[in-house]
Amino acid sequence: MRALSIAATGMEAQQMRVEVISNNIANMSTTAYNARRAEFADLHYQQVSRAGTINSADGAILPTGVQLGLGVRAAAVSMDVAQGSISQTGGSLDLALEGQGYLEITLPSGTSAFTRDGALKRSAEGQVVTSDGYPLVPDVTIPDDARDISINAAGEVYAYFIDQVQPQLLGQITLATFTNQKGLEAIGSNLYIETEASGPALTGEPGTEGRGTLRQGYLEDSSVDAVREITDLIEAQRGYELNAKVITAADQMLSATTQIR
Amino acid sequence: MELPGYVALTRQGGLMREMQVIANNLANISTTGYRTENLVFSEMVPAVPAEGDSVAMTAARTRFTDARQGALDRTSAPLDLAIEGEGFFQVETPLGPRLTRAGAFLMDAAGQVVTPQGERLLDAGGAPIQLPPSATDIAVAADGTVSVDGVLSAQIGVVVPEDGAVLTREDGVRFATDAALLPAPDGQIVQGHLEASNVSPVAEIARMIAVQRAYEYGQAFLDAEDSRLREATRTLIQPR
Repeated sequence: MRALSIAATGMEAQQMRVEVISNNIANMSTTAYNARRAEFADLHYQQVSRAGTINSADGAILPTGVQLGLGVRAAAVSMDVAQGSISQTGGSLDLALEGQGYLEITLPSGTSAFTRDGALKRSAEGQVVTSDGYPLVPDVTIPDDARDISINAAGEVYAYFIDQVQPQLLGQITLATFTNQKGLEAIGSNLYIETEASGPALTGEPGTEGRGTLRQGYLEDSSVDAVREITDLIEAQRGYELNAKVITAADQMLSATTQIR
Repeated sequence: MELPGYVALTRQGGLMREMQVIANNLANISTTGYRTENLVFSEMVPAVPAEGDSVAMTAARTRFTDARQGALDRTSAPLDLAIEGEGFFQVETPLGPRLTRAGAFLMDAAGQVVTPQGERLLDAGGAPIQLPPSATDIAVAADGTVSVDGVLSAQIGVVVPEDGAVLTREDGVRFATDAALLPAPDGQIVQGHLEASNVSPVAEIARMIAVQRAYEYGQAFLDAEDSRLREATRTLIQPR
């Protein structure tokens, strides 16, 4: 009786959906978090009688045959690449990315990672780093005596000094885009690394070739839509219950079978 | 000939199969582009040696796919495409082109439009769809025309198999067919939406209850048949 195991795959799928939803809701306030969505596909089909088989009784050709599905499997958990709303923070090193693109940073291992979390800080050496202390690529260092920092939409970083009227250009923040953003691998801490599926990073100045622009003093909010997540959660819960009901019914049929003498 | 038991057995076996179909439908309640599957029971009349008699058995030999439109879920992703009306997307698999209504597509690193499993989406002429890898603004019109940054780039094919075609289900919400494919006359692509599974939970649960009860009737019948045979045997072997 396969109905039992088929319903079990359905329950597993709904459980996975609840896990994805709970992760989204947990990250409702995470800067620049992108909601994830679980995608499902049906499993293999068992061919009980093939379509096109010739019926032995009268020679007619069966138009459809019988195929029995064996349940459901997870096809992908994909990232919804949607722009989150932006909120004002006033911090001079808080950057919101409007449009596509990622900031590139260097991990302690020397490899590059990418993030949309623009809550940048200054390290003890004056380097511009992320909240976790990873430096930006290309490196921008702010002198100790800088009075104020200004970052324009095109990513140019200027510093103002007490004894100078003209601001001084310190460096350029670049943005990386990917052909397939959904192919990036999330490694936690709002960081992504490039994969075979995402394609290589296409780095350039903000505002060029479809890249987004920077907005100083703002941070991008999480793109999780709470209402949608809750309705999805209700759907997943009911889906789980329906599959559990199938297990109960299949079990009762089996127990009826065992009672036949 | 002790046929009644065997007749009931064909019914019970068919009901077990139908339960499996229901379980599969309910397991796929959240599968994008999934179509409800149904079984059809048909009468099977085997040759009976006794003259003038015939015994009808039952066989679940055919199925049909429910082609009702599933609800459209808004996702806003540019390559999430739903078909409103009749029609299928064509994707390229190692076994040949396949039909699907699951429209969650992505752009791979080379700029080709693919399914989450990596199969390429085919255009109206049956060729893979190549977009510039740096494409950011992708618009898909209702007739399948893809424009990238305002420039016409490709035409996504929406096809229907010819009338009476045999569609075989494959995993990954795909259908295989040998029949000729024609451009869909009324299939419209809706960008930024996905077609939800068209399984109706209420209908499936109602079917499930009906199957379960029918199975219990079958069991009651087998019980009665068992008692009848016992009674007959006892009467026959009782010493006078």
